[in-house]
Amino acid sequence: MTTRQALAAPARRRTVLSALGLRPERRTVILVAVLTALILGLGLLGLCYGASWKSPGEVFAALNGSEPSIVIQDWRLPRVLAALVFGAALGVSGALFQNLTRNPMGSPDVIGLDAGAYTGALVALTVLSGTSAQLAVGSVLGGLAVAALIYVLAYDRGFSGLRLVVIGVAVNAMVTALNSWIVLRAELEVAIAAVGWSAGSLNGVGWGDLGIPFTVIGVLLALMAARAHAMHQAALGDAIAVTTGVGLDRLRLLMVLVGVGCTATVTAVAGPIAFIALAAPQIGRRLAGAAGVPLLPAALTGAVLLQGADLIAQMLLAPVALPVGVVSTAIGGCYLIWLLTKEVARA
Amino acid sequence: MSLRRSSALVGALALALVVTGCGSSKDGSDAAGKGKTRVFAADNGKITIPADPKRVVATGYAVPAMIEADASLVGISSWKRGEPLMSKKDLATYKKLPKVAGELAKETNYEAIAEAEPDLIVIGVPAPVLGDIDVQRLESIAPVVAIGPTVPSAWRKLTRKQSDAAGSLKKFDAVQKRYEAKAAKLAKKYEGVLPELKLGHVGAYGEVAKGTFQREFGNSWGTNIAEDLGAKYYGKVKKPGPGSHAVSEYPSIEELPASLRAADAITYSVQADGSVPKAVKYVMDSKLWKNLPAVKAGKTYPLRYTEAATYGQAMKTLDAIDKSFAPLLKR
Amino acid sequence: MTGAGRASKAPAPGGRVREVTSSGRATPRVALLVGGLVLLVAVAVVSIGIGARSVPPAEVVRALFDFQGTDDHVIVRDVRAPRALLAVAVGAALALAGALIQTLARNPLAEPGILGVTAGAGFAITLGSALGLTGGQVGELGFSIVGSVLAALLVAAVGRRSPLRLVLTGVALTAVLSGVAMGLRLMLPDVFDSYRFWSVGSLAAREQAPLALPLAAIGVCLIGALLLSRALNVLALGESVANTLGASVGRVRIAALALITVLSGAATAVAGPILFVGLIVPHLVRRPAGGSVPWLILYTMVVGPILLLVADIGSRVLLPTGEVPVAVVTAFLGGPMLIWAVRRHGAGAL
Repeated sequence: MTTRQALAAPARRRTVLSALGLRPERRTVILVAVLTALILGLGLLGLCYGASWKSPGEVFAALNGSEPSIVIQDWRLPRVLAALVFGAALGVSGALFQNLTRNPMGSPDVIGLDAGAYTGALVALTVLSGTSAQLAVGSVLGGLAVAALIYVLAYDRGFSGLRLVVIGVAVNAMVTALNSWIVLRAELEVAIAAVGWSAGSLNGVGWGDLGIPFTVIGVLLALMAARAHAMHQAALGDAIAVTTGVGLDRLRLLMVLVGVGCTATVTAVAGPIAFIALAAPQIGRRLAGAAGVPLLPAALTGAVLLQGADLIAQMLLAPVALPVGVVSTAIGGCYLIWLLTKEVARA
Repeated sequence: MSLRRSSALVGALALALVVTGCGSSKDGSDAAGKGKTRVFAADNGKITIPADPKRVVATGYAVPAMIEADASLVGISSWKRGEPLMSKKDLATYKKLPKVAGELAKETNYEAIAEAEPDLIVIGVPAPVLGDIDVQRLESIAPVVAIGPTVPSAWRKLTRKQSDAAGSLKKFDAVQKRYEAKAAKLAKKYEGVLPELKLGHVGAYGEVAKGTFQREFGNSWGTNIAEDLGAKYYGKVKKPGPGSHAVSEYPSIEELPASLRAADAITYSVQADGSVPKAVKYVMDSKLWKNLPAVKAGKTYPLRYTEAATYGQAMKTLDAIDKSFAPLLKR
Repeated sequence: MTGAGRASKAPAPGGRVREVTSSGRATPRVALLVGGLVLLVAVAVVSIGIGARSVPPAEVVRALFDFQGTDDHVIVRDVRAPRALLAVAVGAALALAGALIQTLARNPLAEPGILGVTAGAGFAITLGSALGLTGGQVGELGFSIVGSVLAALLVAAVGRRSPLRLVLTGVALTAVLSGVAMGLRLMLPDVFDSYRFWSVGSLAAREQAPLALPLAAIGVCLIGALLLSRALNVLALGESVANTLGASVGRVRIAALALITVLSGAATAVAGPILFVGLIVPHLVRRPAGGSVPWLILYTMVVGPILLLVADIGSRVLLPTGEVPVAVVTAFLGGPMLIWAVRRHGAGAL
């Protein structure tokens, strides 16, 4: 059975059920509540944990200003918030591309947006002097360039998700090859640094790094939230969507722009954090028992995943701070395999 | 945050208060604002640092240099590359010191550095890598001087600068003097043979890609200390690049004859335990190597400790070179 | 030959290709096969003639037939010739493994690289060398095959229910292994240093290593695949058809799976993970083969070596000094070819 059928069949069932105000909606509400509680809990843990443990009491005292603490307010809080917002952004970005391509594989990290952003950063590192501003601009441009390339190559008198994914996989391989070629040409000391950059990290993220990215992600997510209903309709299949008057091409363009924007913004600040975008929407979809790939569960699951991964990254080799990209890859991938196994066992 | 940005000193003071603030008693030595300061020129500009720093954090290439100079360290980054070259005493110090960062600049643990309450932070990473470090945040803890590697042979100047920043030039100068005396003595010993020889070096530093070999010229890792003994390495890089690319290249194995045919003798890098590294073994197993005039004449010499980047480590290298070149004197 | 030749030119207007496949059966196929073999020999000769050091063609010939032991002769005979042989063997192995997986899984996106089989092999070798167990070729080949068998079994068990899930599982496994390897490298840099060596495939610097065993394994598998090809042809018609025709579906599957894992394991053991050869080659030769599995397998064995030889020539000329690993070049060659194939045939044909 093709994905299109796989997605469309339960989708129809869901519209019937939700029209009657039945279970799926209640399940979503409970899921959202549970995930939000998890996010808050992990956030508190993130604020408490560090080189020295702070009790929740001290954390709250620092947050409401009665007992100011630079470590909690200026170091730990931005990191916790970055994990939350970036995780959500990656989750949404993955959900958008999976909706767009109607394919669970169609996530930004698989089709090469991460690799493209990394190319931009590598160019900034090796050709330019590699300041953080150049890294940021370079990675956003790299991500956008790859997205544009894939979109142009995949758009051929119509639009096919599978074609986009396959072309994305091909582009990803090429861009990754280009990256290793750049590293091979680079000076040794720069190359060693670039290898470190290939796994994203939230280490050292401060308020100064977050203003613009949070604004960009906020605007993009708000834009997308306004069109989420249309997107779910489009997920029911082009034929239905056209009859309900959705401007399909414009919607798709918006989805691509929001998806690319979210991934590239995160990569610009933190480096490539693989697998959150691939795993979060799928995990969220299964938890919600929903049809299609809904955005809200994907965003919340992404936030939980990245927060959890970042905490593990900090604890695993403490005091050495491991790049979160390494942990997210290992955890996200294992969880996905486990999920697939469980479904096989159930079937 | 305005507080963090406004002044490094105020920030450090505030931080020290916060970190020690929860109940425990304060000792007097943490006040960074106290004592004399001076202006120090580093990779990241002119930095005001304490004239006599008491609590120093060092990372990267600065780690072995600072340990050797007996700087008053309170935290270091992990530096596995340097471990085999450290003396027993230095290695014990290295193992004992709290680690506040990993091998990569990215793995810097800012909170751990803050907890060490340094009054000076010395970063020994190359300039392009500084982008991976939140220097501003470090500056909110203590003055930061970045002194990173450039050309392999430049460790002499760099380690001096690093020790100078940490206010431990005295010990540094003593070690340097010992090294120079030893090098001069050995140069005299080999006066009759070494300067006559056209030397070539096969190295193993960094990532030697499959099917290639590392050819090092003068001023490179494998050659710069032997040059202090009067060794003359001939030739130069075909297409010089920045940093180490100015003194070494990685050509295909097919170019081995062209690259080293003119050499009277060939030196090659071996590991600290004397074993031949993979990259060099590949060259030595090749028939092209066996065809080289220098190899046919039996004039090949293994060099240990070629990655030495401090005077103390380089003393070991001198001994190793002496041992390895000894057969030259017999002829 | 057809595949490589057609890909390099502008795609012919749709009708011509169909003509080739529909008109006549055996003769054009045989002609194509002979043409492919001729091209293979030509590319192999070029591969032996080109390198970092320019050796005059006359010297190349003399090196092969009148060996004098000069530097030029040593380069041709002991550096380039074994490398070309390696490219032929690995190219054939990977392409064939790809064709077998695509036939078996009935999934046009499957190949050992994408399904994580080569990643499993590479990771197993790294693990083995970290434990100090992979000294000689037996150790490397053993670990490599065990790794690819485990990876294949895991991916097949988890993802067998749908082609997409199979690919999804493979990509997940590859990512997990690379994440774990990266983490291990960060934690134990000395022990896992060899992962760098096994994470990007290359044909260079293997000329001194004893390769008889892996090459023999590949040779046996090539023959085995030809013997199995008729049974696979029946299987390709669908399981129920195969059952009624009396083919032992289970046994054929296990045999094919064994071939796939040994082929990708042996190829990875000698060259490291090389992606895309197994994906691209079967796509290129599918049309000329016209739905016949035996022809598909024959063509694959010829076009795979051509592709890898061409990529290996590229790996030697792309940098002013030094080399680009061949896996990087195949990704560069494979990417555009795959995009071209997708755009030409459309997603539906996939």
